[in-house]
Amino acid sequence: MLKKGFLTTVAALSLVAAAAIPARAEVTFMYAEWISALVEPGIKAFEEETGETVKAIKLPGQGYDQRIALDLAAGTAADVNLMDSFMVSELASSGYLEPLDDLLAGWDQYQYYLKGLLEVASYQGHVYALPTDTDVRMLWYDKSNFEKAGIAMPWEPKTWADILDAAQKLKDAGVQYPFQLPAGTKQAEAATMQGVYMALLGADKPEGDRNRLLNRETGQWIGDSPALRRTFDLYHQVYVDKQLNPADLNYATDIGAAVRAALANDQLGILASGSWEDACLWDCNNPPSREDRDAQVGWTPWPGSGEPGAKTTTNISGGWTIGINANAADKDMAFKLVTSIFDEGNFKAWTLANHRMAVRTDISESPEYTADPFLAKATALAADTTGRDTVPGYQTVSALIQQATADILDGASVDDVIQEYHDALVDEFGADKVMTYE
Amino acid sequence: MKNQSNPWLTSNLFVLALGMLPAALLIGVLLYFTAWAFAFSFTDLALVGRKSVEWSWVGLQNFERLFTRKGFLDALWTTVIFVFFSAIVGQSVLGFLLAATLRGTRSGIRSVVEVCIMLGWLLPDIVAAFLWSATTSQTGLINALIVVPLGFPPINFINDYALPVVIVANVWKGTAWSYLLFSAALDSVSREVIEAAKVDGATPFQRIWLVMLPIIRPHIATNMLFITIWTFTYFPLIFAMTGGGPGRQTETLAVFLYNQSFARGNLGFGSAISVAMLAIVGVLSIFYLRLLREPK
Repeated sequence: MLKKGFLTTVAALSLVAAAAIPARAEVTFMYAEWISALVEPGIKAFEEETGETVKAIKLPGQGYDQRIALDLAAGTAADVNLMDSFMVSELASSGYLEPLDDLLAGWDQYQYYLKGLLEVASYQGHVYALPTDTDVRMLWYDKSNFEKAGIAMPWEPKTWADILDAAQKLKDAGVQYPFQLPAGTKQAEAATMQGVYMALLGADKPEGDRNRLLNRETGQWIGDSPALRRTFDLYHQVYVDKQLNPADLNYATDIGAAVRAALANDQLGILASGSWEDACLWDCNNPPSREDRDAQVGWTPWPGSGEPGAKTTTNISGGWTIGINANAADKDMAFKLVTSIFDEGNFKAWTLANHRMAVRTDISESPEYTADPFLAKATALAADTTGRDTVPGYQTVSALIQQATADILDGASVDDVIQEYHDALVDEFGADKVMTYE
Repeated sequence: MKNQSNPWLTSNLFVLALGMLPAALLIGVLLYFTAWAFAFSFTDLALVGRKSVEWSWVGLQNFERLFTRKGFLDALWTTVIFVFFSAIVGQSVLGFLLAATLRGTRSGIRSVVEVCIMLGWLLPDIVAAFLWSATTSQTGLINALIVVPLGFPPINFINDYALPVVIVANVWKGTAWSYLLFSAALDSVSREVIEAAKVDGATPFQRIWLVMLPIIRPHIATNMLFITIWTFTYFPLIFAMTGGGPGRQTETLAVFLYNQSFARGNLGFGSAISVAMLAIVGVLSIFYLRLLREPK
């Protein structure tokens, strides 16, 4: 009797356990909240067309990069994934992503993608992901605070000194965050791209790769250079010497939300960021009208340092991509989801409504796109742009750069920070893979 | 021992083994993860890239770097301060004082205070982090209610006092546990003993210090053991509130471990940090376990 009862219990428990494990959806898809307006109509179209269900995993933007790398490394990632373009080569080199060449060959809209942008999402000649957008970087500024500080508009700084000068005036006028220059580990890639790299590119004369993190000819990471020192010195001036910005926005619980709140409360002076802010300063998925935006903020290209021979303005482009997990159960179905997200009607509507920079000629050459004044100005800025050093190892180097800026916030000297950065590069890649410029 | 067991169970080895299976599995998994971290702390395993597949043994290099590179020792010191002030001083002492004070009060007041304390404990860490960020911001509750009305300029707490803010938040979050434990412990102290001390002329302070505390000493040690281990490895509240910053000001070992493993992507070094944390917590646990023993 007891035995029978025991076995019945075991059977009942197993049934309960089996019921508790959800049935596996056909296609799983992980993306960040800020891109919902692009992907959600695509998911809907896919579900209607195929009758399959998509299990969508929608995450906040904060910490997304770490999550996607960890999920893929642990083998628990979704079938289809949104990821920052800089991660593609590294993830592909680890064998986590599915090469898309064969699948793309059968899709009639593939021909429109700009070749240069596909390169960022490629590794060893194979395309591993499709770009959602590209971008340019600039300095945004709050017009009401500029007026309060008595700075002439349109603001056109020519050197770093002009930026610091404006920031000082904003500070004197009582603006809470005079120059929000992304710094520290919590800002993640934003500290590297919107802050360090934009300064670095204009820090020194553009000879070879003196202004970069990587010497692209020799494949060596640059552990010390005049450009790096000047860039870190700019951070030191902003956060330590002149105290032109409190550090806390860089460590807010939700940085994007904190920046939006600072703008809404008239606390923001200058913000080093990118073209997506034309929507995301308010709401990535639902921006206000052109007039409302223009009344509040303006933007200007990042000037060079002012050193003899340095570039007068700088720019670097990134962007996001969607790729397929190498372990996806049904790759054809996964690819079908990707193409329904990127289907011209859906993709074009999102690109235009959210002022993203187009990655396809059928969109970028459309009359609606070319007639848009913001996109036209941003595209002009993109004429002189460059990309990240998207070779395997970049993610680590970028994290070390973020750490270096964090140490400056704590008051560390430029010499110490450079030494620490150089040592860490040698630890990670070996002395022969690290070089210095005099 | 054997005669106390269920005869059906002891006569049926198969069922006995089946019953032990979950425990054996759990122990196996725990050992596996510990062994994994220990083994990979001697490698240069990376999260992504070539070294995630073709890692190699690097001997004691990761452990050397704990001491030769910036980060570990700073984080250890931050952790010690965080644990000492938020767990030992904050949660434990505050929890005991609350329990001792509320012991004699009417059940109405006691319930209200208990619910208030429990709220902090019951809130998810992420919600608590948002709450504390909002409360301590320049336009937040503390500035609006206290600092500005008193005529001072508003204080940017996270920017100027990051570590104290995180410590206070953790005291608020974790005091309920110590309070509940001490409350139960004090309830077990018999009234007769206290009355006897009162009759002998002991002051209220002496009654606590010389009578109650010695009786509940094992509970104090158990509580210390728990909250020290928890707080030493506590991650979500700090990570969500400050991410270890500004700079490295609130970078405890758990946050440092996360940054090295998943932002920098160096799992080998991350494993070495976790092994070091395991050793430190292990030593602390042994210390507390010795405290638990009755004096001879």
